[in-house]
Amino acid sequence: MKIKKDEVGWLLLFIAPTLILFTLFFILPILFLLASSFTNWDGIDAEFVGFENYIKLFNKKSFVRAITNNLYWCITAALITVPLGLIIALLLSHRSRGWKVFRTVLFVPQVVSSAAIAMLWAAVFNAEYGLLNFILDNIGLSDYKNHNWLGNVRTANAALIGFSLCYVGYFMVIMLAKTASISEDYYDAAKIDGASQIQKDFYITAPLIKSTFFLCIILAVIFNLRQFEYVYLMTAGGPANKTQVLVVYIWNELTVQRLGRGSAAGVIMIALGAMLLLLLRRLLKSETYN
Amino acid sequence: MIKLILKKLSIIFIAISFTVISSVASAEITITWPSIWVGKDSKTTVIGELIDEFNAANAGSIKVVVEEQTDYDIYAQKLTAQIATGDLPDIMTVGAQLLDVLHRSGKAMDLAPHINSDPHWNNVYPENALQSAMTDGVLSALPYELFVTPVTYNKKILKEAGYDEFPDNYDDFFKMCEAVTANGKVCTSQMTGKNGWTSMLWYSQALASAGGPDIYEKGLDHPAYVKAFEVMEKMYQYTTSDAIGADAGVSGGHFLNERTAVFMNGPWFIARYTSDGIPGLHENIGVAAAPMLMGGEGSPGGYVGGRQSSLAAGKQSDPAKEEAIVKFLKWLTIPENVARLSYSSGAMFIVNADLPNDMDRLFIEMKQGISDAPYVAPIFQNGIGSLAVASEFPQALSALALGDVTPEGAVEMLQDAE
Repeated sequence: MKIKKDEVGWLLLFIAPTLILFTLFFILPILFLLASSFTNWDGIDAEFVGFENYIKLFNKKSFVRAITNNLYWCITAALITVPLGLIIALLLSHRSRGWKVFRTVLFVPQVVSSAAIAMLWAAVFNAEYGLLNFILDNIGLSDYKNHNWLGNVRTANAALIGFSLCYVGYFMVIMLAKTASISEDYYDAAKIDGASQIQKDFYITAPLIKSTFFLCIILAVIFNLRQFEYVYLMTAGGPANKTQVLVVYIWNELTVQRLGRGSAAGVIMIALGAMLLLLLRRLLKSETYN
Repeated sequence: MIKLILKKLSIIFIAISFTVISSVASAEITITWPSIWVGKDSKTTVIGELIDEFNAANAGSIKVVVEEQTDYDIYAQKLTAQIATGDLPDIMTVGAQLLDVLHRSGKAMDLAPHINSDPHWNNVYPENALQSAMTDGVLSALPYELFVTPVTYNKKILKEAGYDEFPDNYDDFFKMCEAVTANGKVCTSQMTGKNGWTSMLWYSQALASAGGPDIYEKGLDHPAYVKAFEVMEKMYQYTTSDAIGADAGVSGGHFLNERTAVFMNGPWFIARYTSDGIPGLHENIGVAAAPMLMGGEGSPGGYVGGRQSSLAAGKQSDPAKEEAIVKFLKWLTIPENVARLSYSSGAMFIVNADLPNDMDRLFIEMKQGISDAPYVAPIFQNGIGSLAVASEFPQALSALALGDVTPEGAVEMLQDAE
């Protein structure tokens, strides 16, 4: 669409509030972050140190591990959480008896404070009095009687990422809403052709909600790239930095007054996020359903 | 139409008048204090009473409002961020590790002029206590709470394991742990969650024992740091299964419920042995100096401890508010008030206060321990002089406890955090 000359003024006027707010709350902080990442700012004094913060970060095992863990979170969300949400959405889209109950139950974690959920799961995983160990012990797996799920290097990440699967409800609801907009004509035609329910799900519903599925993957990756509260509250990045993630790492740098290095980690996180989104856009190019 | 406009204008006029009158009438100064002495903290009750009494005595002119901060670590982190942004609260409780940053920021109220203008603080503080807390003639924080961290142990559990006395060296200590374990109990309460507080205290004891009270001046290359981690590595063989990742509540909870035999924390925990411990626990508790490492540079009976919380205030532009804050700080340092705090919580304070004769037995034993101690070395968190190294300690300790690194590797993790 070509913009006429006399419309430019109006156009600028209408986008000005958004543009000003975006510049004020996104662009300027990012520029400030970038500038401070080249200093040794400790909240009081700052000196220019060039790329020293970046070099030190990439030489730190715990920082590299934080990036790796964030990628694990993103991959798990994209390959397990969202597809699981799709499967549940497909099942619930049949509107079988009690589907609303399941939908509500699966969505409940979204409306509960994440801090409360983190504390709840920390109690479930507790080695001494946790529910999980109690169940495992009672079904004969006594080796796990006092297993410290969140305090063991082999199981801490799995326990954290595993419990995040309870957030499948968020993506399920988005995809379920999309299934409601699919025309019944497709299913009637398929019924006449003698298609089974599974065939309808896989050959009609799934392809027609593909764009929403891809949107969910992008959302899941964004959410998990900025993962903070569960890791911070349940393990604080431990044991031995094994569950460290980028935002917790940045938080730790800020709390020890290394704001310059924290800024550098923030810049790396923004760059990583941008790269991941560009990559996903290339991978998930799809036709939209009309 | 005109009538309607006049009616609306008169309503607005009355509303504005009320606002102006109420703001003029309420010349009360409000002082906000984000306080950690709330919730389950042993000082909660008396601090609450002192604030109420102060507010009542200054009704209409000064009001102290507490913002409850129940998590010590989060409080310290929040304070760190506030120091960086310059948005300090009116009054704050500052841990020793933040004193240097607070001073360098220049955003804290300098209390030195108030010492010179009024004899109160010079009268109630021991000689040189305030002078030694100054940097370049500036007093950014008023030293307030003191602490030492001797070992507290459950005499009943030790007796069942065949021990009447607490061992004075680590060889005997681990033999005792073996006996306690054989008897179906867990020997020590440990933790790596948050700042690893109770384990960090053990590490500090072992460090001072191995390298002497001036260990922090010798640098992280000194072999004492490795030796102290060797002690911790062994200590984690005799602790609860949830120690890795546990916080102070879990670590202390095991001792309060007689699941563990030995625990280390400051005197402020004394009141909780009665309030939160299982019935009869307090009577079974003994106090001892930490064991010694054979061949170490420390001395038998040496303690770790030092300055715990200091009271500080944010710089004020309004002299009246500054005066009000100073008045409240003086109220908190009146010897009678300090004695009440000490009596109810077991906490120790720098202010000279006449303590009642019926102070808690454990408090008296700890006080005696300090008097007899050849030294009181700083704890690792305060002595190491680096927030980054102190913050890496729980990660290094958990890596060590899980066998992910050797004691040398744990020290490398600390060096790497620098």
